[in-house]
Amino acid sequence: MTPILTVEGVTAGYGRVTVLNDISLEAGRHGNVGFFGPNGHGKTTLLRVISGLLKPKAGRIVFDGEDITARSARAIVGAGLIHVPQGNRIFPDLTIADCLALGAYSARARPHEAENREKVVALFPKIAERWRQRVRTLSGGERQMVSIGTALMSHPRLLILDEPTLGLAPRIKDELCASVMDISKGGVPLIVVEQDIEFLLELSRQLYLINHGTVATEIKPGESIAHAEIMSMYFGQH
Amino acid sequence: MGALAEILFGGLFQGSLYAMMAVGLALVWTTIGVFNFSHGVFMMLGAYLAWQLVETGLHPAAAFPLAVLATAAVGWLLQAAVVRPLIGRANLVLVVVITTLAAGSLIENGVLTIWGPRSKQLPPLVDGNTMIGSIGVSLHQIAIIVVTPLILGALWMFLTRTRLGLALRAVAQNEDASQLVGLNVTALYGLAFAIAAALACLAGIFMGGYRFMSPVMGADPLLKALIVVVFGGISSISGPIFAAYLIGFFEAACSYYFGLYWTPALLFAVLILTLMVRPEGIFSSRGRGLA
Repeated sequence: MTPILTVEGVTAGYGRVTVLNDISLEAGRHGNVGFFGPNGHGKTTLLRVISGLLKPKAGRIVFDGEDITARSARAIVGAGLIHVPQGNRIFPDLTIADCLALGAYSARARPHEAENREKVVALFPKIAERWRQRVRTLSGGERQMVSIGTALMSHPRLLILDEPTLGLAPRIKDELCASVMDISKGGVPLIVVEQDIEFLLELSRQLYLINHGTVATEIKPGESIAHAEIMSMYFGQH
Repeated sequence: MGALAEILFGGLFQGSLYAMMAVGLALVWTTIGVFNFSHGVFMMLGAYLAWQLVETGLHPAAAFPLAVLATAAVGWLLQAAVVRPLIGRANLVLVVVITTLAAGSLIENGVLTIWGPRSKQLPPLVDGNTMIGSIGVSLHQIAIIVVTPLILGALWMFLTRTRLGLALRAVAQNEDASQLVGLNVTALYGLAFAIAAALACLAGIFMGGYRFMSPVMGADPLLKALIVVVFGGISSISGPIFAAYLIGFFEAACSYYFGLYWTPALLFAVLILTLMVRPEGIFSSRGRGLA
């Protein structure tokens, strides 16, 4: 399988601060991909560069054989690369129904609107019960469901989830992890950023540890990773 | 009885004009998060464009919609010239106050150069006068009182019932998330400005039909619209609409009982009181969001 997404030597940051330093990786050759690593080392910045919210200073991003580095966020959504950002803020004063309708805004997604809405309802029956409720009145877990549901309405060919379980209660978190597994089984390849490495290992066979704005370690399919190793990656050698 | 009728009528009439102006300000604030100080100039320019079209022999029924479209185009261009390039900067709000003031001043003096300082007047929407009870009113004023809620209702339907309106409301709430569902954020910013300019042009046409027009005619309505949005809150468009009518009634009552001389001072007293007691506006919650 050829990789669906390739990141080649990307350097990016905000103003004079460089966050990503010549980072290269690929996704989709072995199914899902997981990113992990300490906070503040560039995972979210990398995702913002991939989805076109932030333009890199150097490097190239190729999605499905096409160079998307210079494309607008809108064009990248149009190509089917969908990014669910961290923190599920989405649209606080819109209803759930409105958010899902916005998910199907792009010309590519519109013909599949009804079919995708059924999928979202099947995946998250909880939010389907509250169609006309405003997002700001939902719990954190429900807001995350709306965020992911909105992304599914965009008919993704590759779905990027940035810490989907951040700050959720354990029971809600398990529920959401199960839903993410379901999405993956439905045939949409995923890139997931998570601090919960157990969950990442369950979801994907290929993991990247991102540290200091670059790939510190790649765990390829078939390779295992010991708990002690992860601890030393986060906290250094003792 | 006569006093009440006069205050009610005056309030409805002034309120309609203020609502037209204030909604445009609110629309631009909620979607882009900037305050457009050239809004009064849009009103003036719209009235002059309408006057020019009528002068060249067009029937008002054709001239007025054309003027509205032309003013909307000017709004779009102004946004592209002095707002869009600045987005993402620190102090965006302050910088845009300056750039829109500057652009407004340029347009104002441009109009003065082209059309001269002599006062002009537009044909009224409907000719003639009538009596309501004991007070004499023009049909033009009645037309404004009837047409304004229809236009604002249409805007409300557009924002809440159409896909494009939904997109505008979304941009008002979260720009990053809007980009990530594939909305064309720059085009939506342009659209917000264009709609605001079109509404201002309508207000200008309304005003030009019963008062003399001058290149500075937009300054006072902008000031009143400012009072309205501070009073009603600017985080939604329904707040300014209700507030516009309340301010209209207040102004009518003040000028009836205290005279025109004291009315502006009393209006500003309301403004200051609102800022002290409820700075987010009486119909508003903190934060931004349309509808």
